[in-house]
Amino acid sequence: MTVLTTHNLVRIYQNGGVPVPAVRGVDFTVEAGEFVAIMGPSGSGKSTLVHMLGGLDVRTSGEIWLDGKRVDTLSESAWAVLRRRKIGFVFQFYNLVTNMSVADNVELPALLAGMSPRESRERREYLLAELGLTERAYAAPAELSGGEQQRVALARALANGPRLLLADEPTGNLDSRNTRDVLRLLGEVHGQGQTIVVVTHDAKVASKADRVVTLSDGMIVDDASMRRRRRPPGSAGDVVELRG
Amino acid sequence: MIAEWRWIRADLRARRTQVALTVLAVAGIVAALVTAATLLEEGTNPWRGLFTRGHGAHVWIHTKDTPDTAALRSLGADLAGPYGSAPATLTGNGRKVPVALQEAPATPPEIATPLLTEGRWLDRSDPDGVVVERSFAQALGLRPGSPFTVTGLSGATHALFVKGVAESGDQGFYPEWTPGLAWTLRETLTRVEPAPGRREHVTGLRLADPGDTTLVVQRAVTVLAGQVQRVSTWREARASMELDNRLLGLLLALFGGAGLVGAALALANATGGRVLGQLRDLATLKSLGFTGPQISRMLLAEHGLLGLLGIAGGLTAGHLITIAALRVPPSPAQLGAIALGTILTVLVAVWLPAWRGGRTTPIPATPALPPHGRLSRLARLALLVRLPPALVLGTRDAFTRRVPAALTSVGLAIPMMMITIGLGCWATLDDFTKNPERVGQAAALVVRPGEMTAGEAERRAAADPDVAAVYPGVELDALVPWQTRTVRTRALGTSATPYPFHVVEGRMFRERYEAVAGQGLLDLLSVRVGDRVRLTVGGTPLIVHIVGRVLEPEQDGEVLSLGLDTLAAKDAVPPHFYSLVLRDGADPGEVRARLLARDLEVALAVNPADRLAVIRVIIVALVVVLALIGLANLLTASALGLRDHVRDLAVLQAMGLTPRQVMATLVTGTGLLAVLGVLAGAAAGALLSTALIDLEGHGSGMGAGIGRAPAPAALAAAVLIAVGAALLVALIPARRAARARVPVTAG
Repeated sequence: MTVLTTHNLVRIYQNGGVPVPAVRGVDFTVEAGEFVAIMGPSGSGKSTLVHMLGGLDVRTSGEIWLDGKRVDTLSESAWAVLRRRKIGFVFQFYNLVTNMSVADNVELPALLAGMSPRESRERREYLLAELGLTERAYAAPAELSGGEQQRVALARALANGPRLLLADEPTGNLDSRNTRDVLRLLGEVHGQGQTIVVVTHDAKVASKADRVVTLSDGMIVDDASMRRRRRPPGSAGDVVELRG
Repeated sequence: MIAEWRWIRADLRARRTQVALTVLAVAGIVAALVTAATLLEEGTNPWRGLFTRGHGAHVWIHTKDTPDTAALRSLGADLAGPYGSAPATLTGNGRKVPVALQEAPATPPEIATPLLTEGRWLDRSDPDGVVVERSFAQALGLRPGSPFTVTGLSGATHALFVKGVAESGDQGFYPEWTPGLAWTLRETLTRVEPAPGRREHVTGLRLADPGDTTLVVQRAVTVLAGQVQRVSTWREARASMELDNRLLGLLLALFGGAGLVGAALALANATGGRVLGQLRDLATLKSLGFTGPQISRMLLAEHGLLGLLGIAGGLTAGHLITIAALRVPPSPAQLGAIALGTILTVLVAVWLPAWRGGRTTPIPATPALPPHGRLSRLARLALLVRLPPALVLGTRDAFTRRVPAALTSVGLAIPMMMITIGLGCWATLDDFTKNPERVGQAAALVVRPGEMTAGEAERRAAADPDVAAVYPGVELDALVPWQTRTVRTRALGTSATPYPFHVVEGRMFRERYEAVAGQGLLDLLSVRVGDRVRLTVGGTPLIVHIVGRVLEPEQDGEVLSLGLDTLAAKDAVPPHFYSLVLRDGADPGEVRARLLARDLEVALAVNPADRLAVIRVIIVALVVVLALIGLANLLTASALGLRDHVRDLAVLQAMGLTPRQVMATLVTGTGLLAVLGVLAGAAAGALLSTALIDLEGHGSGMGAGIGRAPAPAALAAAVLIAVGAALLVALIPARRAARARVPVTAG
């Protein structure tokens, strides 16, 4: 079942009256339960694309379909309501709400999605336990390390049980150990059937994905499925894969 | 809703000090407004305060015999009295003044309590002592210990003395309300007037609802069936105490406006600063699914709530302050008006930043960064004249974010402008006091002949060495065609030797049938200087040529002044009074005492500045509040400036700027905006204050021409203090920032 489809998606910024195309006619589809990594050099339009998919940025032309409904024509407020129910976001700089505790940060999207305070608390307790952050529930974001903050951000993105998880360079600001932790979590979530689209520079992130879409100058230059390369663990293929 | 409240609660918790300061600032302004309004009301209409403090009686019934108290109580009123009362004549110094002696118990009564201001209350061990009503005592120059010799209707004279002076809201002020009032013990009253037939009884009725007064009076008259001789009500007492002075009302409106602008600035600044500081958080909220209107609503609720809390606190504090300081609660109408005005102001002040917050772009990855690059023209100029690099960088920083830069300057300019206008009001009041002749009060004293002939009174007054000139005068009511009311006509001096009115437009009258008028009269008759008006004075028709406009502090300026020789002889002779112009430097009080000793009836002219004295307190309070608002604005600006430039600072340090230079850069960045704001505000205030006060003078009928610009020394001091304080406020965070080690790569 298709979760997300785009048709000829275009985004052109105006810089002092000069049009600067960031995304130039992207057609792509994400199936339910798929883990898609979008890669490409800086300025290739990856972040712009993922922002448009979540309604944070508006498209210049083209179409976006989510769960079989056309969404690119929605107003800003309608997009916000859609995000509450169907989309979770993870950013490079974590973007936890600074004045709220970890628990409040995670409960907020659940409350917004219409869960009762008790349900959202239970959901938060479950997610934080899964991510090993139970004892940090009442800490302020500033008291956490970068890795912890990104784990909280992931918990927050999952709080409303989204159809689609969008992540923009989720490991871009983390050291290798924290990167590994976050990747493990993404893998686990994916294993539970979560649809994920992640923008990354990092080959390690891409290696977790089912599909790697490569952008250059705002256009898709490669769309490769990685499933065929999966081998049972412990085989020689692992070594090859790690080096690749 | 739950999500919104969760965020509001978290945000309030995260910045408790700032929240407390905002609430306090708004509360302070509202409390100042309530106190100012109550103080001004006390100044213009002391009745309410006196009546409230003394638990006054709303209705006073004068009866021949002791009334049926049970019947009066059945009307649903608490009673004061009945007290015996007798007319008598106060003699002494060759004067005979009618006085009403009224019985009072030895312990001041619960209802209609006279409020002792000087001396002591009546005492059985001292039956010759009386307590005199304050305005009466003042008019006659009586103080505790003064002799109070009264002659009863029988002709017998009793040597009593003044034991105390007390205020009362139960009857109007002397001489508007005659006869004067003195309280005595019952035995003293019986001694002065032994014949019960010549005494009457007065009974006060305190009603639960003052609105019932008319009904209660009618029923009392019916119940007491023919016994009632006279009834007076609180409305008459209030009317006789009211100073019909529109200038005060207008000034109150001006200060009220200033206070509201202050409250709006304090809140808009606090909210705006906060919203600007959390744009990234707001963007994150949007990415989580908050809609723009939802965020606006949330911000409006949060900051509006703080404003409303401040208003509630301010109203309560104002209430408590006025009760503690003046012993009168503020009037409900004023409280309501202030509450409504401030609530509207708060909503408007908070709405704009809240709306702006709601429009934040939902991409949190792009935190608000100042535009980089281009040096402003001012900074290029600074480079050209080879200023030190710290100053150039500071100058550049000052204008990188143009809108906040403008807001900072305006945020300081407005309080500074208000402060300057306050100083202008102060200078105007000073001018009233120092040069009363310039507000139409050349004469410090007014002598009435009383018992003696007019000629004798004039001779005695002129004999005093400090009296420079004596102008005979008459005041009459004139009928004006097309007007249903009369206007005051004052003939003072003659056309050849006119009284020194302060003419601000046109010229003084020089011939018969020429006159000058106050602004109020010109407005009332819709005439201008140069027009002729027809009026009827004492039955004689008169056409006068208005040749000039004078500053007229009395009767809301609705006074026509002309020479005595313009009036018919029957109206002009003998003069009703003499206005005395004193020599420079003479003390009116001393001269009055000397003239009183010569058995003359002398009254001191009331300077408008004395009535407006309370405004000085309000000016000081407002200046303090405005200064605090200015500082708060500056703190926000300085914090924002720091946030914008924190990365630049690291680069500057890396490039080799010393901490001192970094500090200078930061101080220049904020200080330059502060100096610009202060100077612009002071200039605008100085330009506006004279015009504004003149406008108030015009509106009040006194006339334009009273306004004075703030004293240059005071203005210079205010500007220097403001700039100094601004630089100091900018220095503290700058110092801290310059010493902090900021990593260049800080995200």
